[in-house]
Amino acid sequence: MIRVESLTKVFRRPHAFSGPFGALRTLVTRRYDERVAVDGVSFEIPEGEIVGYLGPNGAGKSTTVKMLTGILTPTSGRIEVDGRVPWRDREANARAVGVVFGQRSQLWWDLPLIDSLRLVGDLYDVPAARFTGSLRRMCDLLGLDDFLDTPVRQLSLGQRMRGDLAAAMLYDPPILYLDEPTVGLDVLAKQAVREFIVDTNRAGRTTVVLTTHDLADVEALCRRIILIDKGRVLYDGGIDDLVTAYAPPRRLVVELADGETRTFEIAGGTSVPELIAQVAAEHAIRDLSIEEPDLESVIKQIYAESMR
Amino acid sequence: MAEIARTLRLYWRLQRASMRGALQYRLNTVIGIATGVAYQGSGFAFVWVVMHTFPSLAGWSLKEVAFLYGLRLTAHAFYVLPFSSLFGLEFLVREGELDRVLLRPLNPLVQIIARRLGVGQLGDLLAGLVLLVIAAPPLSPAMIAFCLAAVVGGALVEASFALVLASMSLRTLNGFALWTFVDDLFSRFGSYPMSVFGGATQWVLTFVLPVAFVAYVPASVLLDKTGALNVPALVAYGSPLLGVALFALAYQVWRHQLRHYQSAGN
Amino acid sequence: MIRPLAGMARIGLRFQLAYRSDVIMTVLALIAQVFLLRMVWTAVYGGSGQARGLTLDALLAYLSLANLQAFATTPVIPRIAHFRIRTGMVFFDLSRPTGYLSQMAAFQVGHTFGGLLMLAPAVPVVLLVGTITPTAQPLGYVATLSLGYVISVMMSLLICVIGFWTLETGAISLLYRLVSHFFAGTMVPLSFFPGALGVLAEALPFKYMGYVPAAVYVGHLSGGQVGRAVAVEVAWIAALAALLWAVWRRAHRRVVINGG
Repeated sequence: MIRVESLTKVFRRPHAFSGPFGALRTLVTRRYDERVAVDGVSFEIPEGEIVGYLGPNGAGKSTTVKMLTGILTPTSGRIEVDGRVPWRDREANARAVGVVFGQRSQLWWDLPLIDSLRLVGDLYDVPAARFTGSLRRMCDLLGLDDFLDTPVRQLSLGQRMRGDLAAAMLYDPPILYLDEPTVGLDVLAKQAVREFIVDTNRAGRTTVVLTTHDLADVEALCRRIILIDKGRVLYDGGIDDLVTAYAPPRRLVVELADGETRTFEIAGGTSVPELIAQVAAEHAIRDLSIEEPDLESVIKQIYAESMR
Repeated sequence: MAEIARTLRLYWRLQRASMRGALQYRLNTVIGIATGVAYQGSGFAFVWVVMHTFPSLAGWSLKEVAFLYGLRLTAHAFYVLPFSSLFGLEFLVREGELDRVLLRPLNPLVQIIARRLGVGQLGDLLAGLVLLVIAAPPLSPAMIAFCLAAVVGGALVEASFALVLASMSLRTLNGFALWTFVDDLFSRFGSYPMSVFGGATQWVLTFVLPVAFVAYVPASVLLDKTGALNVPALVAYGSPLLGVALFALAYQVWRHQLRHYQSAGN
Repeated sequence: MIRPLAGMARIGLRFQLAYRSDVIMTVLALIAQVFLLRMVWTAVYGGSGQARGLTLDALLAYLSLANLQAFATTPVIPRIAHFRIRTGMVFFDLSRPTGYLSQMAAFQVGHTFGGLLMLAPAVPVVLLVGTITPTAQPLGYVATLSLGYVISVMMSLLICVIGFWTLETGAISLLYRLVSHFFAGTMVPLSFFPGALGVLAEALPFKYMGYVPAAVYVGHLSGGQVGRAVAVEVAWIAALAALLWAVWRRAHRRVVINGG
């Protein structure tokens, strides 16, 4: 469905001058500042998969997504989305993808939600009959009926996000890009968003690319993740494999009598009871627990290694 | 053809949606229109007061200057009404809204100008039409057609400068201040017989920044004053075409800047 | 009492200087305006040496001065006040130990100084275009102009306070600027205003921001007329102070009770 081959994006912009004639100098200068945002990224996503595309801020996530959606043209490398080159065929590509930005709504701020959805239907040339069916399905899946007639500016963040998801899926695109879809939402709203993603993925075999900082989203939705940092792919594979492959040590967390907390790594082959006995001999212990490695600590470790 | 029909239909739907949104702030709209009338009214009041004492301005009577004034205001309104949202382009770029525009299957410029109808500018239109109707000389049907073409042409002349300067913000350059100034020059100098400014200034306002072609040249045709122009009468009769040509050129600049945005990002 | 006001004035000054490119364009627009007025007036004067007691040279000097004055004293506080009311920041202003109106006035004064600094490069150009020569009545000019400036600040304050009711001052302050500039005589000296319009312009206080000082400068108003103008200005200031005080008391109560 999506194929990316040694994709590279170099931002090259005229050096910005300051001062009273800065704008003019910037206009005519030959000095350029270069920054490699995406550096030889390759991956393939088959139809119907949900992939988590993860990385710290500035890793090149959104630059990649912008190239996948045709907003940006790549410096080199190849992209194919549903058989098209997005930047060359921007409008056709636009019809094949739904995009949700958690931070920014695509809905019309002053109008009732239903009006926004109608406009989206118009923009994507959804025939009236199909629109009615689609709308019904969205209302059922996302529970929109209660606030269809409310102006978007009066919606809660969770309601607005549900509206945005509906707008992105109204025209049944085979591909859905989600950028931080749960940011700022409460637990229940997050749950609703995740369920909707799972449902659309199952029912319509929609391919989903999810970028997020919320690893709970990833654990709930994705079996595969692509980790990038500084524009390069650090890891591409299953979540389970990731945790086993990197398997950071389990840790013994001890709360001492004076309230201090200490952490001891349990190196491979260590006997846990022995370690506890050893610690208890040296300190007065009030409480203790053993931390299993989770996705977050694995990812932290990978980033830390790539920093070196 | 079907593509054009679709574009127009979607333009209308988007524009209607933004109007419905704006009309919720009814008081703002009314005040906006009133301000437009007052703004243009005070500009014309200057002419009226001056010509109360001096009956002729470079050979033009008060009524003739009023017609020229009305023609320019109407053309200006026909440019601002649809294109006022270009004023917000810088904001759209900064907030990433332009990305959303590029994600939709419709001409980006059409989406941008459909974001807002300059309802506040209805005041300009109102003031312009009133002056035009009151001060119009008796016109033959052909001249009425020329008058309509002149309004559209004049609007396009202003629109092309706006489009070129606005598209500078796709390059993260601040064209806005320059645009305010150019817009100001059009408004300030466009409503007077150019011969007032004499030689060099008139030449600049005709051939460098074609302020003269927005209203002065076509008004000279309509008032049968082409003899005093610094362009041949034939050019004066063809003046509405200048707007079309300039706008076509400006659209190419816009397209080029948009491609640059897509390769340079923001 | 003085320290916080000086701070407010400094912010106003910086506010003016912050938007440099905008200011450069405004200065260019000012030069364009003076140039336009010169061209139009020269054209209408034609050969005639004098009209309404003004020679063309005196008129051009008058117009340049009046426009410089109007530009430098452009009211900014209605915009600022509106923004602070809408965002609720007005409560910080109200909680300070110095009065709200004094703070706003200080801001405006700082802004005017910024405007004067910005204006510096334009002044020679404008003076050249307007062919201004030294005045014979420097004292009268400074007196009428300073009192006129006080009137202008008080009028701006009045617009600010109105913002507590309308919650929308953008259009109102633009409208105010248009009306005040027109009746201040920045494009046409008041002596050219015909009939009722002339009577109205003479009665309104806007003329003290443009027409009166500029006319004193070029000698169009002189002798006893200057003294009378100063007296009327003082009367206007007293009346506006009373009005401001009354309106402000109601506005303040309204904010405290309704919470903006």
